[in-house]
Amino acid sequence: MNDVIAIAPILMAFLTGTTALLVRSFPRLQQIVSVAGTLGYAVTVATLVWRVVFASDAMSIAYQVGEWNAPFGITLVADGLSVFMLTITAVVAVYAIVFSVRFIDYRNQRVYYHPLFQFLLLGATGAFLTGDLFNLFVWFEVMLMTSYVFVAFYGNSSHTAAATRYVVLNIIGGAFMLLGVGGLYATTGTLNMADMARTVSASGTEMGPVVGLSALVLVTFALKAGLVPFQFWVPSAYRAAPLPVVAMFAGATKKVGIYAIIRLYFTVFGNATLPTTVPGIPSDSLLAFLAPVILVMGMSSIVVGGFGALSCDSLDGLFAYSSIGQIGFIAVAIGIAAATTVAELRHVALLATLIFALHHALTKGLLFLATGVIRDAVGTTQLADVGGLGERSPVFASVFLVGGLSLVGIPPLAGFFGKFLIFDAAGRQFAAHVTGDTFGAASAVVVLIVLLLGAVLTILYSTRAWMGTFWGPQTDVIKTGTVDSIEVLILGTLAVLVICVGLGFEPVYQFADTAAEAAVDTDGYVKTVEFGGEGA
Amino acid sequence: MTFALAVTVGALFALGTFLLLRDDLVKVIWGVTLISQAANVYLITLGGVTEGTSNSVPILADHHEPFPVTTDPVVQALVLTAIVISFGMTAFALVLSYRAYQENETMDVTEWDQ
Repeated sequence: MNDVIAIAPILMAFLTGTTALLVRSFPRLQQIVSVAGTLGYAVTVATLVWRVVFASDAMSIAYQVGEWNAPFGITLVADGLSVFMLTITAVVAVYAIVFSVRFIDYRNQRVYYHPLFQFLLLGATGAFLTGDLFNLFVWFEVMLMTSYVFVAFYGNSSHTAAATRYVVLNIIGGAFMLLGVGGLYATTGTLNMADMARTVSASGTEMGPVVGLSALVLVTFALKAGLVPFQFWVPSAYRAAPLPVVAMFAGATKKVGIYAIIRLYFTVFGNATLPTTVPGIPSDSLLAFLAPVILVMGMSSIVVGGFGALSCDSLDGLFAYSSIGQIGFIAVAIGIAAATTVAELRHVALLATLIFALHHALTKGLLFLATGVIRDAVGTTQLADVGGLGERSPVFASVFLVGGLSLVGIPPLAGFFGKFLIFDAAGRQFAAHVTGDTFGAASAVVVLIVLLLGAVLTILYSTRAWMGTFWGPQTDVIKTGTVDSIEVLILGTLAVLVICVGLGFEPVYQFADTAAEAAVDTDGYVKTVEFGGEGA
Repeated sequence: MTFALAVTVGALFALGTFLLLRDDLVKVIWGVTLISQAANVYLITLGGVTEGTSNSVPILADHHEPFPVTTDPVVQALVLTAIVISFGMTAFALVLSYRAYQENETMDVTEWDQ
């Protein structure tokens, strides 16, 4: 009954990574292996998506490693939510690796660039597919280990300083996660997520420790996602790492943090209730208890990211701060979903989360790669040094414009639907509270105002990036630099994809709808895992 | 036994946090290493240190009484994994700190740029 398709993406990334290591004396072959392997990865993900979501007999698939039945062995689960995240990762990875071959200096590519990239992909894939809490920790570390090397990749003073801070911060984050995971094991007696979901739903488990320990794990997830107050590693790490990898960071590894929050708190702890009621929180579920925390983190991320982006003087720094702000939007949507007890509103808010995550991965990937084109052409990304690029390369300017407009949320681009759904969810939350509950209505208004502020800030810094880079008189470096047409061509297809996601939104919506349903479907998740042996 | 372990975990975390807040990079690395180890010791204590039974420790099925005191085998497996990971991390952090020292020409992290 073990279906290998569920772990095919993991195998693919692992195989490509090791093959790329073996052929490292033949750089050309290594590039071919790496690109072909990433394309193969995308194909396996597409097959998995077909089997789990779109086929007529579509169903979630579980894989018991070594045929050890859950809850004793490690289980990997491919359900709607996992494969949605994998799809985002696959798209970003294909663009990042193809762009890398062109963008990264030939000699730098020989320094283990391709194997590292594949193992980064492997870590993210494993984290999305695993159904075991400790295994999630291990995949996190796999992903982190490679990202450390990428932050330190260029090895100058600022890069090593950024990498050191990033390493120290993440080792502490890892220790926190270990404490939380170990504590959850001691309390619930299991590490298997589905089994844990069963245990916490049943009465008899002491919920007090579970609340505290799950909050401890939330710290690590928020650190991975770069939410305020754990955001301070983001700008320096993003400025230090190679830009195609930054596209992966923003598109895939940050989403791992978001995914882990949704998976753990909605799927696993979704049915958990607290023994006591907390003043100011209407329902007694664990989610409602954590909702204000996630909401405040999300709202402060929007503000910090927005103002940080406005005051940044380089293009990559601007987008790094923007990435903090955009993750804030995602967290606010998660917070709204957690706060409500109405199934419909929770569904809409989670749908908004997923659509926004997809849009952010595509759009921010496009913009970071576009920053790479500019750095390749003129050797700098300081806004003061570039200008008038629009006149020099109108095609590249229009590609960048698509990214900027999608970030702002202009229809019919991908960004419009993400933002629209988040405002829709916030509006519904306000409407639900408007009669009677003053405190709830007031907090819903605050959320709406912060979202509006965030949207205005996004318009401001996108405009600033656009005007600073493409308008105005041509600077000296722009006059002498040449924009690489192949890089622009690669980005052009990504821009077309951003437009297509917006225009042909129906299947995307359907896909995200299935994923959002899977996120709250605890019973379905438990059923997929199919416990065997004495533990059942 | 439990009390001694609790004191050890507390002391390791305290010392680790203290070292983490130093200016000297080597001390910072020592700090994170200690915190990782503290987390490992904490994990070991979680299952409780009690007399083993053949139910929780399968290998004891062939043994006769008295059973030795032991911790939960599952957490031992977890700690083994965590030790390997933190070993790799520490090795990487030490190499990185040497390179960071070469590039920034000081071990004092407060004097680095940014």
